[in-house]
Amino acid sequence: MAFSLFGIIAVVLEFLRPLLPLIIALLAADIVITGWLWASKRRSWQRGRHAALWLGGLVAALAFFLAPWLTSASFSDFSGVLDWGSVLAGSITAGLLAALLSWPLTTLAFGKRSGA
Amino acid sequence: MSDHDPGRHASTQVDDGRRRLLKAIGLGSGLAVVSGGALLSTPAQALRTSARIVIVGAGAAGVAAANRLARALDGARITIIDSRQRHLYQPGLTLVATGIWKPSKVIDSNARYLPRSIDWLQDSVAEFDPEASRVLTASGRSVDYDYLLVTTGLKVDYDAVAGMHPDLIGREGIACVYDTPEHAERSWSMIDEYVGSGGVGLFTRGPGGIKCAGAPLKVAMLTEDLARERGSRQSLQMVYNSPGDGLFSQPDMDQFLKREFPDRGIRINWHHRLIGIEPELRRASFATPEGTQRIDYDFIHVVPPMRAPDALARSPLAWQDGPFAADGDWLEVDQFSMQHRRYPNVFGAGDCVGTPIGKTAASVKAQVPVAVNNLIDALRDREMKASYNGYTSCPLITGRGRGILVEFDYALNMVPSFPFINPYREHWVPWVMKDRMLLPAYNAMLRGRI
Repeated sequence: MAFSLFGIIAVVLEFLRPLLPLIIALLAADIVITGWLWASKRRSWQRGRHAALWLGGLVAALAFFLAPWLTSASFSDFSGVLDWGSVLAGSITAGLLAALLSWPLTTLAFGKRSGA
Repeated sequence: MSDHDPGRHASTQVDDGRRRLLKAIGLGSGLAVVSGGALLSTPAQALRTSARIVIVGAGAAGVAAANRLARALDGARITIIDSRQRHLYQPGLTLVATGIWKPSKVIDSNARYLPRSIDWLQDSVAEFDPEASRVLTASGRSVDYDYLLVTTGLKVDYDAVAGMHPDLIGREGIACVYDTPEHAERSWSMIDEYVGSGGVGLFTRGPGGIKCAGAPLKVAMLTEDLARERGSRQSLQMVYNSPGDGLFSQPDMDQFLKREFPDRGIRINWHHRLIGIEPELRRASFATPEGTQRIDYDFIHVVPPMRAPDALARSPLAWQDGPFAADGDWLEVDQFSMQHRRYPNVFGAGDCVGTPIGKTAASVKAQVPVAVNNLIDALRDREMKASYNGYTSCPLITGRGRGILVEFDYALNMVPSFPFINPYREHWVPWVMKDRMLLPAYNAMLRGRI
């Protein structure tokens, strides 16, 4: 049975529904911080990006190793490219999202310019 | 100003970083807009009508149909009749009965999903009168309709097993995964106890059309898997009693299971139909070709036969003869259009319909758009084009952490939704789908989004 793009988005939104308040709060914080950083020009986005990428990498690694446990399974249940590819793709996606969402925060925390 | 001007360099870096962030935000915003569209979208042109449409039953099919009809029609008087406040995610009952989910995860409320623009009559239908296009409720109300959508679900016929009563579930080694989370939770206490104490475990399956026909198999395999995990497998003598000569209607899966069960030490009794139990003696009676056979047990998973609810079964809407009448007095519909074969203003979807295969939430997902679109075409006086191909699906969980995503149609051909998932092999991904993704997909279906 084919799933349309809207159908897939509807399922993802239902999946995220319990987390929506948290996601909205995080996005709102990101927007506010981004606005402040934009106006102040006292922070280096690049320095913040390095920290965000490190955090994203950590989240990706954690997601990879914890995925079986989080799903009441173990690595011994994995079989073939489908399972390994899925956990890898899922972990990378989680890492990228974590990096993206944390970028304004890490810029705020670690992006102070020397002399600023 | 030179290229090495630190100020310019810093400015370039900042702009580059900002640009990337803005791109990311732009992508996110785009996704949010598309997502919002998915949640709020309505058809470009709702059909203006004053038709009276009655939906009987607020289970998966009824609620999904109500949402689709409410969006597609403007001015229609849509009434859904059901006394149940609770909405149960029945595909999750297997996971509750095997201790993987808490019962609260499968309990929701119909009020959360029913559109506000329709009338919800909190009553139950006692009588169908299709000649007069009317239903009568248990409280004595008469409700007239122009179009009727029958989505009553089915009745687990405990009375068909002598000595069985739902109150026995959770006592005397008796489990039954079906019907309610309370049954499933009490079943888990019996499975947990059995895996600890060992002995003879009988796994049964009602004959004919039953809801989620994979559930009896999954309960057997998950129990075996749990015993293996706890190191008590040697103390369990597990016997699966099939009422016929097969385990699964799809032939490839049937062959797989006929190898898998013996490989895992689960003996199979063919042509063993459960006809009675003696709870105090822990003894079950089976109808077999050689006559009635009595088997003592320490644990039994009782799966009674299932049939249409009484009001539907005794109404003119039920199949009057043939296999679907004999099996469970199911609703007589054309298996492709989901329209009643004798009453053209009546449609059906869900567990109550008499079609060759179905009775899963996945079938509901495929049937409801067909029934709704054809009902709308009937309203427009147009040719009905939507057709149900018999699609059904069973994430066949073979153990905690792995399963096979089985999807097939009337021809029993595999019809995988995701070509990259091998429907003949155990994987972790179908387990994740069952454990994490199918409930959101079900909720999206209830809202009429998929």
